Amino acid sequence: MSEPTLSRILYVEDDADIREIVRMSLEKLGQFQVAACDSCAAALSLVDEFSPELLLLDVMMPEVDGPATMRLLRERASAESAPAIFITAKVEAGDMQRYRKIGVLDVIVKPFDIVKLPGQIEQIWQRHRSSLNDNGG
Amino acid sequence: MITADEEFAQEFARLSAAFVAKLPLKIEVLSDDLVAWLLVPRDKAMLDRLSHEVHQLIGAGSTFGCSGISDAARVLEQFLAELRGDVSNASASVIDQIEAAMEALRGEADRIYAESARGGHRRSQT
Repeated sequence: MSEPTLSRILYVEDDADIREIVRMSLEKLGQFQVAACDSCAAALSLVDEFSPELLLLDVMMPEVDGPATMRLLRERASAESAPAIFITAKVEAGDMQRYRKIGVLDVIVKPFDIVKLPGQIEQIWQRHRSSLNDNGG
Repeated sequence: MITADEEFAQEFARLSAAFVAKLPLKIEVLSDDLVAWLLVPRDKAMLDRLSHEVHQLIGAGSTFGCSGISDAARVLEQFLAELRGDVSNASASVIDQIEAAMEALRGEADRIYAESARGGHRRSQT
């Protein structure tokens, strides 16, 4: 039986230019359904209606950063089991380990190849699904 | 009928051109914020905002085919990051380095904008 395909991605990024090009890439090239917004507050306002399967979060955002946004979104029943991928322009020593500890699947570092991004996300998603199956999840 | 790939390529070209067109304004805002912060270099909130604007340029620059912008912004971010840890490090020489990094960023933005105006700047999908 094939793995369930990833469909709905909730994407939070405060940089409007990046948000637009990533949304385009994920929708046009990846055929994903994408809800894109610029802040944690905006994400919280649409998460229940959208029921995301995956959270794609910029790390450095003013007011509420990526890790805090993930925590707040996961308090909602509609996103409590949604895994997260972080996007950042800067990964410092120890960041990856710290992110994994709080349940982040992977980190995509900016600048990224905008054409390859959908495939990269799909790959991370499939790896996650496989690990769930291996663990009997 | 155009394919999804072609549609994306067109949109990418449009968004990249829009990014370059907005560069002078972005640099102007950044420069104004830098000048404002230099007047009160111990203001952590202003430094945080400035750092965030620079950080955004690092990510967006290369994504839209302007790697020189990312490189120049990264240098500026490093100087600012040193101060975010301890604003009392804002010595005259550090300020000079920050101003020089800002000038380098402005120079690169001007170069890309001028090249684009001449129709010479070609962006690829990374």
